[in-house]
Amino acid sequence: MLEEISFIVGGPQGSGIETSAVVLTYAFARAGYGVLVDREYFSNIKGRHSYALFRVSSKRVPKALKYLTNMLVALDAETVFTHYKSLKDGGILVYDVGISLKKFDAIPSIEDELRSRLAKEFKDLGLDGTVESLANYLRSRKNVFVVGLDYSKVIEEFSKEASLKPHQASMYLSSIPTAAVTTLTGLRESALSFAYMRRFNDPKVVEENIKLSKVVANRVRRVYDFPPLLKNSEIGFNEVLVVSGNDVVAMGKVVGGLRYQAYYPITPAADESFTLETYSRFKVGDEYATVVVLQTEDEIAAITSAIGAALAGVRAATATSGPGFSLMVEGLGWAGMNEVPVVITYYQRGGPSTGLPTRGSQTDLLFTLFASHGEFPRIVIASGDHEEAFKDSIEIMNLTEKYQVPGIHLLDKFLANSLMTLTPPELSELRVDRGVVTEGGDNYLRFDMSKGPVSPRAFLGSNVIMYYTGDEHNEVGHISEDPINRINMYTKRMVKLELMSKEIPEDFLVRLYGDLDADVLLIGWGYVKGVALEVMDELSRGGDISCAYLHLRGFSPFPSRFVAEVLKAFEGKNVVALEHSYLAQLSKVIAMNTGFMIRKEIVKFTGRPMLVDEVLQALIKIVEGVSNREVLSLGE
Amino acid sequence: MGSSQVNYRSGLWIDWCPGCGNYGIVAAVYQAFAELKLRPNEVVVVSGIGCSGKTPHFINANGVHTLHGRAIPFATGIKLANPHLKVVVHVGDGDLLGIGSAHFVALGRRNLDVKVIMHDNGVYGLTKGQASPTLKLGVKTKALPNANIQDAINPIALAIASGYTFVARSYAMNTQHLKEVLKKALEHKGAAFIDVLQPCVTFNDVYTVEYYNKRVYVLEEGWDPVVREGTEDEVRNKMLNALIKSMEWEDRIPIGVFYINPFKSTLEERLDQRFEGAYLKKPPAKQSISYEGKPLLSRDMFKEVFSRFFVEVEK
Repeated sequence: MLEEISFIVGGPQGSGIETSAVVLTYAFARAGYGVLVDREYFSNIKGRHSYALFRVSSKRVPKALKYLTNMLVALDAETVFTHYKSLKDGGILVYDVGISLKKFDAIPSIEDELRSRLAKEFKDLGLDGTVESLANYLRSRKNVFVVGLDYSKVIEEFSKEASLKPHQASMYLSSIPTAAVTTLTGLRESALSFAYMRRFNDPKVVEENIKLSKVVANRVRRVYDFPPLLKNSEIGFNEVLVVSGNDVVAMGKVVGGLRYQAYYPITPAADESFTLETYSRFKVGDEYATVVVLQTEDEIAAITSAIGAALAGVRAATATSGPGFSLMVEGLGWAGMNEVPVVITYYQRGGPSTGLPTRGSQTDLLFTLFASHGEFPRIVIASGDHEEAFKDSIEIMNLTEKYQVPGIHLLDKFLANSLMTLTPPELSELRVDRGVVTEGGDNYLRFDMSKGPVSPRAFLGSNVIMYYTGDEHNEVGHISEDPINRINMYTKRMVKLELMSKEIPEDFLVRLYGDLDADVLLIGWGYVKGVALEVMDELSRGGDISCAYLHLRGFSPFPSRFVAEVLKAFEGKNVVALEHSYLAQLSKVIAMNTGFMIRKEIVKFTGRPMLVDEVLQALIKIVEGVSNREVLSLGE
Repeated sequence: MGSSQVNYRSGLWIDWCPGCGNYGIVAAVYQAFAELKLRPNEVVVVSGIGCSGKTPHFINANGVHTLHGRAIPFATGIKLANPHLKVVVHVGDGDLLGIGSAHFVALGRRNLDVKVIMHDNGVYGLTKGQASPTLKLGVKTKALPNANIQDAINPIALAIASGYTFVARSYAMNTQHLKEVLKKALEHKGAAFIDVLQPCVTFNDVYTVEYYNKRVYVLEEGWDPVVREGTEDEVRNKMLNALIKSMEWEDRIPIGVFYINPFKSTLEERLDQRFEGAYLKKPPAKQSISYEGKPLLSRDMFKEVFSRFFVEVEK
């Protein structure tokens, strides 16, 4: 029995794999395990390969994923072909013997590139290209335990048990992998019932699925007669949240007082707006709070209508990804010129252009820092995990209102679509800071320069009138091209950079995990946080190399003093940037702000998340002096 | 701020060309606002870019001078955040129907209570006279190197097709007429569009004051643009009449109200229905979002709202 396991459940997009992933996460959560799941899929509705990569632990909540798995559970042949290399020695393969004779080169949904790689691999291994030959190879050479089930027989038996017509019974096909996982891991039936109830809210569906899972369990046990894989959880949770990154950001926005969100549909941001709309009316005392969520005609309307709402005194945001943000840039500049606190929640995906629309990246750090013509201060913060994402979605509303600047909250597809078990957030520590707000008064000046860089803010609809313009303007808000006014108004805006640097706590913007006297320093931001911390742990368990991790959360303002101090302490040692990009953009930003050059890096731009095992190997190469730059490629 | 005898002139020197049709438009705005006794702090004038974009600066009311083509979405956010505000959009023809046409169409679909006044002069004035989307095919205004090879949009027909529930045309040199149409639009509930024919004295030597004076006539006797019962048939017939009327040009150009449908729900009403009456009672701008510097949601309330995400661990 193992303390933790990794596994893959895969099948065609639209066949229920997404549901399996959600149901299994609820079930493991119910049984008290720590779960992290990455969902990988093509830009496609039905038919292309999709899968969920799980890590489940009885000791803690996993921070990152591993490539080597204990189980590969396949709904179709493509899943077996695509992921067979992820199976550990001694792992378990669950597949449908009904498709044993299917050959990889007869599956149209496999991309040509993978098909030719497989052709070579199978030729080298002397396999005939069928699922059966691959399963035999895994059994004999890789010590894999092969659980071959006849899925059509399972459905046939289930159809009799449940008195369902065959076509009705076949709709439960995707519950077979779910049942195989619960059987092999030893998850109890009550956890699975709970999960189905939560997902479908229909006792009939729960009942049928439990019947099906019994059919599967009996058949699995006929061939796999060993104790379950996974130890009982010892974490001691009472309750957890099962959430994606999209979910926690929507929750944070609700808690933080967001009252207007406009969006245009785009992967991987759109789910956040759906979640927000689902919870857009809720009771506060005797009244109902409402959040207007508007699907606009394009991203230009999304950002500009959010700016409009902000001018009227509402916490307002939009959620988007790279292509959408490209369209929003002119609006961002207007918000900068007019000192409008509007928030852009930015989920990075693979670019440029449409790029890898459903895969992740961290390639837009430089873009968000510099987007728009002209100069103006902005807040740019990035979240490293679900907990940070929740808090940051609130804090960015505080910071943008306090300093009256636009703000960008950077996230990525990895975080957006990862499901995890999260300890419910402590709300009493949170704050709402709306900055200097006024009802106006005689001679109100929206851009009053006499009170420092942040002028008291009245909302449209208060007792006074005000003017805004994208042109350079005077204190009233009327157009002015006067050179002296230009200097004063421009400077008023720009000195906020110093103010924000001085006032925003360093320990919010950056954090060092581990010790200043460690042998190696990893530097990263966003989704790499979890990977870096797991790598640190593994190295410390190994004992030979001590490792620290510098995690950046704030990029504008940039915590230059702290970062420079840490880098100084590591001069002459291995300092390695980690990023899902080609350029390791973080290193450029650090050089720009501190003068320190980071010359070593581990990067990945396949659109798939960094995995603990590959980062560990790459880091060891760098520490051994074999290489200064490692480009990662694990995962399909 | 008191509403009696408000001076709606902002006092700024107006830098449009002498003789510009915009003077007539802004004069009609002053009069309409005054006659309706609108409070300047409850009015927001939103504009795009170009000569018309400067309009808010010349009006003593809230003014938001935005981006080229984007006045409507800015106005949309303002209105949805605070539906008690009167939101009036001033845009040019290039602004609205060229770079901003997606937003023009979207506002019709929403029937949000925003008033759109299009300064329609057939040219891009501030950039020295390029052809705008309302300049007809084959017309050569003086700055163009060649005659226009793109055809014109019919703005009235587009507004009707998009779902605007108040559609009118007026003429900048007939301030009295424009003022009356404007007042009707301001009192209408829903998205209103006014196409204002506006001579550009500097760059449009075809659609001149003389050109319009000869052709413009006021829709009156026998012309009833108002949907009175709200039946499907009636709506269709009124729309068709308006569409046919909108195609009159060349010799005679009608001004006046083309179409009014007071029966279609506004976006504010649709939201209020979704929120079961909670939206208009306390719209976003009127809601408090914190208590003593803390979020309104306590841990228990959070759990109640987001119960679907909570999993109680089975011991």
